[in-house]
Amino acid sequence: MSQSLFYLIAFLSIFFSLMVIFTKNPVHSVLYLIITFFTFTIHYILLNAQFLAIVNFIVYMGAIMVLFLFVLMLLNLNKDTEPAKSNLLKMAGVVAGMCLLVTLVGSVKALNVSNPVVLTNPGLGLVKNLGKVLFNEFLLPFEISSLLLLSAMVGAVLLAKKEA
Amino acid sequence: MENITQAIQGIPLNHYILLSAVIFAIGVMGVLIRRNAIVIFMSIELMLNAVNLLLTAFSAYRGDAAGQVFVFFIMALAAAEVAVGLAIIVMVYRNTNSIDINVLNKLKW
Amino acid sequence: MEAQSTPVNYLPIIFQMIVALGFVVVTMVVTHLVGPKRKTSDKLIPFESGIESIGNARQPFSIKYFLVAILFVLFDVEVIFMYPWAVNFRDFGWAGVIEMFIFMGTLLLGFIYVLKKGALDWE
Repeated sequence: MSQSLFYLIAFLSIFFSLMVIFTKNPVHSVLYLIITFFTFTIHYILLNAQFLAIVNFIVYMGAIMVLFLFVLMLLNLNKDTEPAKSNLLKMAGVVAGMCLLVTLVGSVKALNVSNPVVLTNPGLGLVKNLGKVLFNEFLLPFEISSLLLLSAMVGAVLLAKKEA
Repeated sequence: MENITQAIQGIPLNHYILLSAVIFAIGVMGVLIRRNAIVIFMSIELMLNAVNLLLTAFSAYRGDAAGQVFVFFIMALAAAEVAVGLAIIVMVYRNTNSIDINVLNKLKW
Repeated sequence: MEAQSTPVNYLPIIFQMIVALGFVVVTMVVTHLVGPKRKTSDKLIPFESGIESIGNARQPFSIKYFLVAILFVLFDVEVIFMYPWAVNFRDFGWAGVIEMFIFMGTLLLGFIYVLKKGALDWE
């Protein structure tokens, strides 16, 4: 029963991510992307990564996607501004994507690892455990990510406030 | 109760890899076939999330928390990327009154 | 108490979501089915306190809101790193405090820059 739950959720993620790229209206695209991220949250819960699920929910669905929606509303998109790409280019894009997919799937098949995911450590995804790893092994990346956020802040302010 | 818990973790690792590969490929296709800059950005988010899912699956498979910590960094990166990228899109819209990427062909030769 | 950590423990949350969603859907469907329908042109226009509606709802708005939203997202991401730190606060001791203060100091630098630049000034 639970295994079929995984396949159901996997099907839903693929379906909604296809809807993201094939709907004409960008606002609908954003909404479908939010649903896709929600299915990812369920995947994380199934994988026993609770903290990641919550963070995905709060940061991705709550903040980043709302920012996308916000920008979409900020720009004046009453008329359909997106002229369709020529069909030839679209076909070329789909073929290129399929080639990538076939390559990836082929290499997975060649590797032939098919052991089931068995949780060795049930407390793996808890906040306490993650914090210990984050602040011991990954201390330097953590500090550097603050620099990344700082530069993003400066960049965003500089770009969005051009007249000042 | 206990057997439900056990049954949830019986999915072959291959299926997680395949799922991530499919979603990543969908993201690549989205970048290639759409012209709206914001939709292209969303496709990039889709690709980042496919990688996040794969990292988490590997982390559960190996019993190593490092994979999940990587996902934090990817999320911080995604937030920074979105902030700067959307600011660039807004500037492009202010200057050209469109977010069609084919308008941005001044550097083409 | 040791924290439980199996997907089964999320069953109550799922039930709650189903109940919440089900309530909304059922109420909306039932009101549509039960209530009488008299559609006149006056009733179908959006109600704006008696004033006639003008123009489109999707007006482009000021860039200031956008700046605030972007800065919110950037500071929101800190939460990812704050929670694991806060939970392990006692175990890390002073070293953890110093590490977190370096992180927060860098972000505070960004905040000071934003304030100096006047990005949050409304006029």
